[in-house]
Parts: sequence; C-alpha cells; structure tokens
Amino acid sequence: MYPQAMCDLIDIVDGTREKRKGEAIERLSAEELKALLARYHPDYREAAFRNLRVGVNRGDRTTHEIADLLEAFSDLDHSKIDLRPEYDTDVLVLGGGGAGVTAALFAEGMGARVVLATKLRLGNSNTIMALGGMQVSVHESDSPVRHFADTMAAGKFAGNRKLVKTMVEDGPRIVQWLLDLGVDFDRDGEGNLAVKGGGGLSAPRIICIGDYTGLNIMKVLKDQIRQVEGIDVFEFSPAVELTTNEFGECNGAVLYDLGRKRHFVVRARAVVLATGGSGRLHMQGFPTSNNFGATGDALVLAYRAGVRLEGVDSFQYHPTGVMFPEHMVGVLVTEALRSLGAHLVNAKGERFINELETRDACAAAIIRECERGNGVGTLSGAKGVWLDTPLLEETQGKGFLKGRFPSLYRHFMRVRINISKQPLLVYPTLHYQNGGILIDEKGETTVRNLFTAGEAAGGIHGRNRAMGNSLLDIFVFGRRAGLAAAKRKYNEAGNVTLNHVHRYYDRLKALRISSTAKSPTLFPEFIVNKL
Amino acid sequence: MKGDDAIITVELEGRKIKVPAGLTVIEALWDTGHDVKRGIGCLSGLCGACTVAFIEKESKKVRFGLGCQKVIEEGMNVIMIPCFPCRAARYSLEAMENPLEKLKELYDELYTCNDCRACNICPEWINVAGVMRAAMAGDYESAAAHVTDCIMCGLCASRCPKNIAPHYVALYIQRALARERPSPPNLGNRLEEIESFRYDGEWSRVAAMDDEALKEFCASMVGR
Repeated sequence: MYPQAMCDLIDIVDGTREKRKGEAIERLSAEELKALLARYHPDYREAAFRNLRVGVNRGDRTTHEIADLLEAFSDLDHSKIDLRPEYDTDVLVLGGGGAGVTAALFAEGMGARVVLATKLRLGNSNTIMALGGMQVSVHESDSPVRHFADTMAAGKFAGNRKLVKTMVEDGPRIVQWLLDLGVDFDRDGEGNLAVKGGGGLSAPRIICIGDYTGLNIMKVLKDQIRQVEGIDVFEFSPAVELTTNEFGECNGAVLYDLGRKRHFVVRARAVVLATGGSGRLHMQGFPTSNNFGATGDALVLAYRAGVRLEGVDSFQYHPTGVMFPEHMVGVLVTEALRSLGAHLVNAKGERFINELETRDACAAAIIRECERGNGVGTLSGAKGVWLDTPLLEETQGKGFLKGRFPSLYRHFMRVRINISKQPLLVYPTLHYQNGGILIDEKGETTVRNLFTAGEAAGGIHGRNRAMGNSLLDIFVFGRRAGLAAAKRKYNEAGNVTLNHVHRYYDRLKALRISSTAKSPTLFPEFIVNKL
Repeated sequence: MKGDDAIITVELEGRKIKVPAGLTVIEALWDTGHDVKRGIGCLSGLCGACTVAFIEKESKKVRFGLGCQKVIEEGMNVIMIPCFPCRAARYSLEAMENPLEKLKELYDELYTCNDCRACNICPEWINVAGVMRAAMAGDYESAAAHVTDCIMCGLCASRCPKNIAPHYVALYIQRALARERPSPPNLGNRLEEIESFRYDGEWSRVAAMDDEALKEFCASMVGR
C-alpha cells in the first residue's frame, strides 16, 4: 500500500496519462546515446573502478568490489586442508542453475559420471528469476544472422563474434531439446512458438512461458536430473577453491559442507564452473535483482587458477527494479511491460526516454531524472521514477495485466498495490555481469580442463546484454561445456594440489597487497542494511 | 512501515524477540543474528526455499507463506519450515508412448484424494485442490494451465493427509502434456534451414566484414 504522500504523487501520473498517450518520443541518435551513457550510466563512473594489480588481467579495469575480492586471500587455512579426494568423478559441475544442470545432463548423457555441487538448493539460481523470456530466432521474418546482428549491436560490438554466432546458431536446437524434455513454451494459434518483440530487437524473437519462463524451465530440468542415474547432487556445498595438477590443469575443487561445517575435495577429469554472477556484491551500492548466492565466486576461484577474464568492468543495470515497498527493493519488473507500451514517467508526470531503448539507455535516463531532481522520493529517502502500468490496462483492455502478468500482479496485490490502478516505483537494479571468464566455443577457459557456462562466462554479451539472451546462453554453453567436459573422462586427473593458489598468494605478497577482504564471499555479509 | 522507528515484539523460531517493524521474516531472522542459509534462495518469492508457518496475533489459524515475502507483524508467531519430504516418482518420459496414461501408475495416491482442500494454502494462490480434481478427472489441460505459477515450495504436500505431492503430480502432467504437443512448425522450418546450410552464404559474408562494415550491416538490419 502506498502511503498518502506517494498517492498524491500518483495523482500527477494519472493526470498526464491521457496527454502522454498521444506523445511520441524520438529514439536517441548515436551521439545522444553515447553522451547519455557517458554521463549517467554506472559503468562510466570512473571513481567506481580501478585497475587490477595482479594476475592474468593485470592492468585491466574492474569495479572496486571485484578488485577487492581478486586481490584478497582466502578465509581458508590451506595448510590445514586434507587434499586427499573424498570423491573421484569424471565431471564436476559447480553451480545448480540453468547452466550447471544443463552441463550435468549433457555430460551424463555422454556416459560421464557427474558430481554437481551447489551453494544453496538445486535450482536456487538467477535462472528461475528470468521472467521475460528467451531469445531464439524462429519467426519467419527472423534469422540467426539477424539475431547475431542484434546481439552484437546491443553489446556495442565488444562481444566475441564466434561466441555470438555459436549462441544464435545453437538456439533453435537447444529449444528443441527443451521441448523434448517437456518444457511447454507458449504457442500461437497455429501451434508455432509464440514470439514477442523487445528492446533492441529487429524481429519478434522472445519465446516465453507466461511471465515465469525461467522458473518453468528450471522445474523441468530439476525433475530431469532426479530421473537420470549418473549425477550425484551435493546441495549446500559451495566451492571455496579449485584444485590443479602438476601441469596447472584444473582437476577438481575444495567444497565446503555448510551443514557439517567441513571441507572436502572432489577430484575430477574436468570441471564446469557455472556458479553465476556477482549481483550480491551490490556494485556501487545499487540494489540487485540477483539471488542470495550470486557473490562472484566463479571469478575469484578461476582467476587464482589463472584464467583470463573478459569485460568485468561492464554490468547490466536493469532499468526497472522495484523501489517500493522496501522489502521488495531490487526485485525485477519485467521488460515486457515496456515492450508493450508502459511509460516511464518522472515526478512531474513527463516521459523522458523512449521506453524501447536498450536497457543501458533506459537505466541511464532514469538515473539522470533522479539526479536532476525529477525523481520520486519514498519515505526512507530512496528515489525512483514511475512505471505507468495502469496505462496498459487502458490501451490493452481491462484485466490485461492480471491475465498476462499474473505473478507480477499477485506479488504486488500481496502488499496491497494494484498494478492495474497504480503505477510502480522503479529504479535501475544491478542485474547481470556482462563480462566474466573468457571461454571458447566449447566453453573451455584459458586453463585446461576448466569449463565455464552461464553468467560466470564472458565474451558473449559485450558491454550490454539484450533481453532474453542470457536464458539462451546458459543452455547453449551449458550443453557445450557439458559435452566437452565429458570427453575428458579418459584424462589422467593427476595429483590434487593448491599450487596455483600459493603462486597467486606469492604474487600478492610480492606486490605488498595485504587485503583484509576474504574471498570467495559465498554469502553476502550484511544484508539488512536497508534499515 | 520501515522508515518510522517502530519496534514490535514477535515470536521468532520459538523465541520472543523485539525487531524493527516492516521487515520480512527472513530479514527479521538476519536482524536477530540467525544464520539462516538453508531457507534462502532468490529473495524474490520465486524459488520456494523459504516457506514459513505463522499464527497472527489473536488468530486461531496457522497460516503459511514465503519468508522473503511475508512481512512480520506485532504478536506474530513464526517459524521456517525446512524442506518437507515428498515422494517424486521416477520415470523416463522419453521411453513412454503416452505418458499421461501412466499417471495412475506413477502417482496412485492421487486417486485417494477426497477433496479435503487442506492443500489450498498456496503462497502463489493456486487452487491446488482444484488442480488435483482436474487431474483425477483426466482434464489435464486445465490442471496444467493452473500450475504455471507453481514455485515447487511443497507447502501443499506438507498439508496433505493422503501423502500426495501435488506439485510433483502437476509437474508430471505439465511435462507429459508438453511432450504430446505437435512440434512447432516455425521451429521445424528454422532447424531445417540451418541443417541445409541456408545461412552459410550470409555467415561467410559477415565473417569477412571488418568492424566498421559489421556496424553498418547491423544498423541496416534494424532498418529492414
């Protein structure tokens, strides 16, 4: 329920709705876009970044939050860990989201023995929160090449062409795989996969399952992993360090059993790192849409093992994160609302950006409005702008929001906000790590036998990810990583050592870096900071 | 409301304790120093990890919800419910001709349902008993249509006196139905095009482009 002070502000939005309906806002020119981003997008705020002093990417720019973790020692007393493996397997998958489960299923399908370890419960991931849908070129006006072009353009041409081509070409095949597993994507009248348009897309390309796309895919994948024989799942067992053999090749991981508070080692012929992104590091103090476990562990573990990172100075701030009520701060409001024509409106009741601009442009424009004093304040002093949802109810018909966005509608009805009558207060929320661990088309990193898939991987999305491409990327590269990792099952795993960590520590010490930060983070430390 | 400094008294995990008003159950647990990890996932009301049971002040009724969504109130008595055990059937959908016909074999306890409606406590407001009725009557489309929003928290199963796990039954129906649907023609066409190398000419042109040419090419796509 909005407090009275905010209801008065909502009256302004209601008052200008009729006028705004007829308004058309020009798309930004290339120069305008550049200027907007440079001035207001968090990725361009130089004070928030520094150059790494150690490791493969020495000299590269990243956020303080990530640099702090990469230039840190572990909490773990390595001398006290028993490195004799408690489990020996072919493929060790770290991470229980869409990418990890896909990798595990494909590796198992190739006859590999698989251990899947995850920090929280299997499936507790950002995958389930992918609401809007998944990009795949199936519409007749569309093509894989067009999908490639849109993805490259959205990423400001910083994405790796080969990886993008791989993703868009594998797209239709991976959808077929999901359909075969019993994922029920929405269909149109002729039984085709129904496709929607979206910001930055030149053809309708978003396939979905209501507004619960990721969740419904993950439900099926979780069910499938229960049905196959060759996968052991360890829940509540985050990885705290990778292990390497005498040649510096990855051969397992040290896991931490949260329940029994002890470490144990899993040795493997190949490791798939799929532990997701880093939203819970709350870069630059932004709220985040990410799940509880998204603390950037993959970057830390893999960097110590010697991988090259790519583009870890670029993050996606989703323009429409909830700002009110406060216990929902950071939670995502799907982009589909803007695609369908919901306006972004400032405190004066004015639009200030074409809502179909890419995510980075919309986010920067919202930050601009708030910095110019056109933001809407909450009681606790937070600022945001309105997302005019009642407008959709007028243009698309009564009951539209409840029917088309049932989960969103219900989540707000629980707090007595009726989105068909009242707008939502939104502000950019830290949503996605655009960069990550550099991979090749097989999903392999620059460290042999270490594969990466999903948000932890980098090189695909360039400097801005288009809507619906991450849900595609996790399955495409999860599959590829799983298949390639399974082929390593005849490898000699070699001795389990932490030599790479000791080498890394030596370099830190030589540079007189003595950080008090401890990494990996595993869990966000101080959560109730909203008080 | 958060923002004003009201302090309320609640019974949290069996202990009477003061917390600031406006927190969710999980925030209150953190605020009071509980090291909760098992019952936490997405913090957005989607993963179903943080199920809680609570009694509101002066109420006789035990209610259920999600810890990341339920805002605590004065006098509330609340506990987290660890993941409730339920039986999920083992099957291989690929090996089955008509998976829906196997429902009875895999989940025979479903047919002992006497519509007591104890399961209608869904935090996603799903009419679970209605879905089970539809499933028993063989109206699978209707059953599946109502569980798209199911987050698999398992609260419904924890209430069932007949040991039915409605979320697993419904998931099976969803998967089985999806498998029975004819393959989408647009996807089939696209796969055929890719397999017959339809785009290879275009790809090799793209591969030969330098960055500037690629930018122009991408810009022309948007215009087309």
